[in-house]
This record gives sequence, C-alpha cells and structure tokens, in this order.
Amino acid sequence: MPQLTYLEAIRQGIWEEMERDPSVFCIGEDIGIYGGAFKVTDGFIGRFGPERVIDTPIAESAIVGAAFGAALTGMRPVAEFQFMDFIGCAFNQITNMVAKAHYRWGAPAPLVIRGPSGGNVHGGPFHSQNPEMYFVHTPGLKVVCPASAYDAKGLIKASIRDNNPVIFFEHKYLYRRIKEEVPAEDYTVPLSKARIARGGRDLSIITYAAMVYVALEAAEILAKEGIETEVIDLRTVSPLDREAIIGTVRKTNKVVLLHEDVRTGGIAGEIAAIINEEAFDDLDGPIVRITALDTPVPFSPPQEEYFLPKVSDVVREARRLKAY
Amino acid sequence: MAKKRKSSKTQQRGSSNGRGQRAQSISNSLTNQRTYTISDYRLEKPAFQVRQVRVGDELQYEVTGDLSAPVPPIRDSKYLSKKQCIEIYRWMLLNRKMEQALENLYKQGKVVGGVYFGLGQEACSCASAYALTPDDWMAPMIRNQGSLLVRGFSARDVMMQYMAKAGSPTKGRDASSHFGDIQKRNVVAPTSTLGDLIPVLAGVALGARLQGRNLAVMTYIGDAGQSTGVTYEGVNFAAVQKLGLVLFVENNLWGYSTPCDLQFCVKDLAERAIAYGIPGVIVDGTDACQVYDAAHEACERARHRQGPTLIEAKMMRMKGHAIHDAADYVPKPLFEYWRKRDPVARFENYLVDVKKWLTSDENRALIADVDRELEADRNFAVESPMPTPESAAGGVYCEEGCHEIKPKYGMPKFRVTKSAAGTPKEKEAVVHLK
Repeated sequence: MPQLTYLEAIRQGIWEEMERDPSVFCIGEDIGIYGGAFKVTDGFIGRFGPERVIDTPIAESAIVGAAFGAALTGMRPVAEFQFMDFIGCAFNQITNMVAKAHYRWGAPAPLVIRGPSGGNVHGGPFHSQNPEMYFVHTPGLKVVCPASAYDAKGLIKASIRDNNPVIFFEHKYLYRRIKEEVPAEDYTVPLSKARIARGGRDLSIITYAAMVYVALEAAEILAKEGIETEVIDLRTVSPLDREAIIGTVRKTNKVVLLHEDVRTGGIAGEIAAIINEEAFDDLDGPIVRITALDTPVPFSPPQEEYFLPKVSDVVREARRLKAY
Repeated sequence: MAKKRKSSKTQQRGSSNGRGQRAQSISNSLTNQRTYTISDYRLEKPAFQVRQVRVGDELQYEVTGDLSAPVPPIRDSKYLSKKQCIEIYRWMLLNRKMEQALENLYKQGKVVGGVYFGLGQEACSCASAYALTPDDWMAPMIRNQGSLLVRGFSARDVMMQYMAKAGSPTKGRDASSHFGDIQKRNVVAPTSTLGDLIPVLAGVALGARLQGRNLAVMTYIGDAGQSTGVTYEGVNFAAVQKLGLVLFVENNLWGYSTPCDLQFCVKDLAERAIAYGIPGVIVDGTDACQVYDAAHEACERARHRQGPTLIEAKMMRMKGHAIHDAADYVPKPLFEYWRKRDPVARFENYLVDVKKWLTSDENRALIADVDRELEADRNFAVESPMPTPESAAGGVYCEEGCHEIKPKYGMPKFRVTKSAAGTPKEKEAVVHLK
C-alpha cells in the first residue's frame, strides 16, 4: 500500500470522487491554477477543467450559496474554505439557508464545505481556530473531523456521497505531518462511526482530530506505568456515535474528554451530558475535561503552547483519575 | 441596457511638486470620469425626497416633490399578446384577492403569526414570473406571493402556509411564502434573511450549466435588502461567471419603516448594475407590460449565456411591513400618489377601456371566476387539519432512500484531460508527530 500524507489522502479522495461521479465539482478561492492555499486541489484544474474547478471572488456567502444552488439541481459541490476561520463569513448561508432546507421544505443539500482548521501552527487568532461547534449546534448539518490519513480519504469520499450538507474540518497541523499506508482501491469510512484508536481497560480518552495523537502519546507513557488507556477517535463530531461513547464508558468506567477547541460549549460538555444520561451508573470517577483555554487562539509560540492541551496535561489528569 | 457612453483612459497622477498642481489633477480626474447609461422604460419619472422633520416634540417623515402629476398610460408591450396580457391580469387579480382573503382570515383569528402583503406590487410579482418558462427557476421574497401563483402553486398552498396547516407545502414547518419545489415548479424557498437567495439562484444556474443547460434564474431583493453584503457577493459572482441571473430590485420606497433616503445615495438602484459590470434597467413596477418586457429581455439574455441583468422596479409598498404595522410613518400624500397608480386598476383600465381586449361582462366574469377559485381554496384551507405535535420531529436529515439525488438535466459530460498527472510531488518534508 502506498504511503500518503493526510493532505494527499484528502486530495486523492476528492480526485477519485470527481473521476467516479461527473456531478462532483470544486468551488472556492484560489483552487484552480494555484491549486489551493494548501495545495489540496493541486493539478485538479488541468485534469478536470475550469468548469469543475471554479475559482471564485473572495465571497464566502456566495461560495456556499452557489454550492447550495447547484446542489438543488442534483450536483455534488465541494466548496473549499481557505481557512475554516473564515466560515463565519458564510454563517447565515450555512445555518439558515442550507441546514434548514431539508426540514423546512424537503430539499436535500448534498454539498461538502471543507477546509483547514486547528492550531499548533502559530497561525494566530484568525488562522488557528476550531469553529466546529457552531455547526454541531445547528440541526441539519454533519460535522466531520478526521485524524488519520486513512480516515481523511475514506471520510471525504463518504461526505461527498452523503445526501446532506457536511462540514469537513481538515486539521492543518496534520496535513503534512501524518503519513501512513492508505489503500489504493476505492473505500469509504462511514460518517457517525467512531473508531478505537487504541484499546485499553483502565480508562478512556474520547477525542478527535489532532488531539488523537496527543492522547496516543499520553497512552504510551501511561502504559509504562501500567495504566491501560483506551483512545476513542470520534471521527464525526455531529451526529455523534453515542454507542461508541457509552460502550467505552461501560468498559473502562473512567473517562477523559479531550479536545483542542475552547472549553465552554466544546463537544466535551455534550459528551459528558450523554454519559450522565445513559451511563451514569457505569462511572467510577468524575468525567474529566481537558480542553484549550477560553480565549482566542494566541499567536506567540509560548502562549499558543500554554493555550493548547498537552501530553503532560493528559498524563497528569489520567493518573489522577486512575487513582480516584 | 447599460452602455459605456464615453470613457477616459487618462490616469492623472497627483503631482508631488505642489499642492495646487495636485488639487488640479484630482479635479481633472474627477471631471474625466466615465459615464454610463441605464435603460429606463418608464413613461414618468417621479422624483420625491423623504426627510425627517421636527413637528412639535416629534420627528416624522415629510415628502417633497411634484405629487400632482397625472397617471401615465400603460406602455404597450413589445412581446405580450392580448391573451397573455389577460392571463397576467388574472394572476394579478388572484394575487390581490388572495391577500384580501388572508387579511380576513387574520381578522378571524385563523392565521398563525403575521401576514405579509404585496399590495401595489402585484404587477411586479406576476408579470416578472410570467416571463419564465417551466424549466427556468425562481425564488420569491416575502411579498412575491403572486410569483408563486404564476409558478404553479395555488392560493390554498399560500393560505395553508399562513394557517400552519399539515397540508401546507412545508407541512406546518414554515410560514408565508417560505416554500419551494425543486422537482416540478423549480422554486427555491426563501429565508427571512435578505439577499441570500441571490448566490443560491446563481448556483442553480451554475448547476444547470454544468449539465448543459442555460436557464434563466429569477429572484427579487428590496430597496432595503439590497444593502446586505451577500447581495453584492451574489450578483458579483453571477456577473463573473456570466450566470443567467435576473434580479428584480423592487424599490418600494420603504424598508420596514425606513425610507430610501436613509438607505442609499444613488439616484436609482439600477445604477448598482454599473459597478457589477452588468446591464441595468428601470421599469415602472406598477406597469405589468414594462415589467414583463424587461423580464423577458433579461431572461433571453440569460438563456443565451449573456449573464445577469439587474432590473429596478419602482413602486410603493401600499401597506405596512406586515399586518401589525399601520405604516403611520408614511406621509399620506405618498399613499395618495401611488394609490392612483394601482397596478391592478391600471391594467384593468388598459385592457377594458384602452385596448378593449376585455368587455365589461368578460371582466366581471373573470373576476367572479377568481372569487370562486379563492372561495374554494379558502374553505379547503380552513377545514384542513393542523399537524400532529409529533410531526415536529424528524426530517432534519435526508436519510437513505428519502430522495434520489441525480443531476436534474442529465449527467454532465466532461472531458477529462488524460495528460495531467494524478499525484503531485510532495512540497514539504513529512514530519512525524513523534
């Protein structure tokens, strides 16, 4: 199997879907001849032509609106946001026009809105955010946040084939730092199915995106101390895989919720509520949250490091929970 | 259509040698500005100013200008036949009388929430939508209930929307003109936020074009709604992509309670077209023939891949923003002026008295026919059931098997360039996390 980066896996996923299905097309800023700010659509315009790789003005509401309009005619648009930080510019289109369409008037909106999110790249307050929770809070949208190259390819393909609007957050820290074997043949990874990134019996860490690697690194350290940690990679943040969440709590009885997003209103609060409602009796300790600070993402490296959850935070909290 | 009348390529640079020279060069560059023309189909050009004046302790709006001008004739259509004119007239009557029925239903307590009216704007809604073919697409704004009727929805659909009935097009889930149909009638449901339909309709045209069809896609925006950023984004995108957008800017003089003079500085909103690089047209929005002719020409441009057209229709909203709003802030002389220009009465006079295409008896029969239709629809809507409480749940997602999604006009045929490389070279070194 070929070794692919996380970025190349996404690129191949979209490419293969465009080869497979002529109703798939790309729309966004600088995605044509330039190939996108991160080069996810590099080479696409040469292969598929400017009809299917559409460079737009800097107009995020127009990009989402046009994607939705094309979807109404049965197309499957893939709209790129140069940074997911800019998704706020299209917030109304996404939350009022697109998300409500099927519920209100029975119009399916099979479109994907994708782009880079996440920090640890010293991008500052406007190039590092994790804005997924705005959309998790909006009924009608699906929110996908892959962690591995295998999942990134399988999930982007599944997102394009899905009949609903999917917001696909690509963690930019992982773009070229993750490289793994990815099958050359066609495959998809189902939405709303979490995966067990590492099995364990003593406690569970439920997380997603770049924090999966922080959890795995912490699990290695904890294993040397005899603490067997299970790491659950959610893969899809909305709708959540409730069975996987409850399943791991029933298995280990102790749970750490970890995310790179800010603390207040982060998915950890929602997962804690689900555990409280459905697996309270299975808990042998308090639910622990490890998250970023409730601040904008700071620019300077020492500040950003302080802002983000670290392996040492996870190890410390896991030890404390194990001993509870 | 907007034409470049004269252009100056002179690019005067401010000299750094002295203030006087600099000021002169700025002045030169201002006087050498390019000028454009906007087509204007109107037979009269009302020019009023509405400003805030203090009367005693209160501020109120005052109108100035010549309000005594005689009502102009209807401008003969270049395209409409006698039969088509009568059809448009019938749609306008249905639009008007349906809204009167809605007002009565509201007063009887049968309507949930408010009612929005297109009183005074029926010619604009009905004659514009009449220019579309069944394959074209349309998205109404809140006052374009007449456009929905022309596209094939019935008065009972609109009434049931207002009464939140189970049998309404949205099954009780949304109100008013907030419904659509992507299967047969090609109507996109509006939202309450303004301007968002413009890029969506552009996207419909884009999707159709990818499937080999050049369609006209029509939507509306008000004099107030056109201030939103997404309006600019949408029209500009459609212009750049040469998509067949037909945008009616319905200048009805009031954005809720705010007059045009507090909303924009251009003399005519059609001038906005110049900045988008597309044609702009002005029509009298109370003259069905002018509205149709401009719409028809814009639709033809769209179908021939000549890009978007912006049509400003001038008229006045003859009621408040919604039924709760008595519109006390509108100076009375403005109402009097525009009441004389009632689009239904003017068109009726044109057909019966000027053209003699309808006898008085035929006109009475037509009105009675519309009344009968509305009475049946009203009774059906009133007697139809409310939705069950549980029907609030579900339908958030398009689940497996609920819709078959495929390109509406056939699978796009694209040439794929074989020579292009499938895998680009890695541009950065790969760094493993650990």
